[in-house]
Amino acid sequence: MIILCTKEDLLSGVNTVQRAVSTKSTLPILQGIKLSATKEGLWFEATDLELGIRILLPVNIQEEGEVVLPARLFAEVVRRLPDSSIRIESSGHNINIFYNDSHFELNGYDPEEYPEMADIPSGDVIELPGPTFKNMIKQTVFACAVEETRPVFTGLLLQIEKEKISLVSTDTHRLAYSKSLLNGNEKEFSGIIPSKTMQEIYRLVGDEEFLNIKVSKSRVIFNFNNIQVLTRLIEGQFPNYKQVIPQTCNTKLLINTRKLLDTVERASLLSRDNYLKTNTVRFNIENSSININQYSELGKISEQLEIEQEGEDVAISFNAKYIIDLLKIIETDKVILETSGPYSPCVFRPENNEDYLCLVLPLRN
Amino acid sequence: MGQLYQAISEVEENLSKLLEEVRSLRQYVEYLEEENIKLKRQLCAVSEADTARVQKNAARIQKEAHENLEKLYQEGFHVCHIYFGEPLEGSCLFCNAFLRKD
Repeated sequence: MIILCTKEDLLSGVNTVQRAVSTKSTLPILQGIKLSATKEGLWFEATDLELGIRILLPVNIQEEGEVVLPARLFAEVVRRLPDSSIRIESSGHNINIFYNDSHFELNGYDPEEYPEMADIPSGDVIELPGPTFKNMIKQTVFACAVEETRPVFTGLLLQIEKEKISLVSTDTHRLAYSKSLLNGNEKEFSGIIPSKTMQEIYRLVGDEEFLNIKVSKSRVIFNFNNIQVLTRLIEGQFPNYKQVIPQTCNTKLLINTRKLLDTVERASLLSRDNYLKTNTVRFNIENSSININQYSELGKISEQLEIEQEGEDVAISFNAKYIIDLLKIIETDKVILETSGPYSPCVFRPENNEDYLCLVLPLRN
Repeated sequence: MGQLYQAISEVEENLSKLLEEVRSLRQYVEYLEEENIKLKRQLCAVSEADTARVQKNAARIQKEAHENLEKLYQEGFHVCHIYFGEPLEGSCLFCNAFLRKD
């Protein structure tokens, strides 16, 4: 393999695929990045067997070939290369990086041992609007569970039913739901996509107008620009999320998003480090205002926020982190809060937007 | 001759015992049939009061079951089908929806 490229080319390839490099696997070769020089250009490829990312870069290929290089070291080397033209030559499993009048030799793995990231031969192809899908990911991915006791909650349920697309995530304490339209789509799909994959899609999708997804029963491939993201679907049944979304409410509030976020962030300063580690914030809603009176051994905060209120007065306790997380992704000036009491799930949604909601279950005292 | 006569007498005696037993069984069968008819009639015509009593009883049992699940949830255990019986951290949307639905 002989290629001529720039530092920018290598940096772009490494940065794109590096997060798919396995950090936990016992297979040493999965800690590598595969470089394949072909007639099309230079492919960078990494996988942890759950998620795989590939990118094709149009560089000058003098001689075709393949190498697998240790990801962390190669990335460090690339970041420290000078901004000059670079020539890479392989010899066996190793490569020589020539720059200026110097060279860096790097030992690699046997490319034959690297697992192949197979295409989906006869899957349905669905076209998604890039910016909309990216926004849907942003609105939902934060509510996924982190711990892996129930794998279905570590992913997002992607449902495509003809012209409707929805993403749902929950960690059983909160639930985020976002929907949109897929004009002209006739195909259907339902699957649970790992949150790590969605985070990568969110990171990598630029302002491309569309991204294509190719689906099968167990895998999905996202194609956009010159990047491919392959992922396994999470096996299992996503619970019936519709039954947890309240259809009625006794109290409806319209609140300034920014002011509420600031207030909750200030109040959580006193509760996040308390001995209970619950990070509780209590809203006393009465007479068109939210009162927050928080105290701990560290101090006391007393705030009042004017709101528009319809319905009964109520006092509710929340995990402050959940409220902060959701308010950070609501882009409208005002947020609607609907509740039916201190033990019922609260629905938060942006003003004038029926396509998104986030449900948070209050804390029981 | 005497032996044969004695044997016939024994058979005659056994037969008469058997006949007596059949007669008593017949009476018992008649009694059972009557009772069966009576029960069938009762079953077809359960009074509204009885129906209400049974329904009330069922509701009481259901209420008790719901209270037990509510208690289990309050004590910090999941009651939803996803995590049933496992320790609860904070609160669970699915337990909440399940208890609210019931």
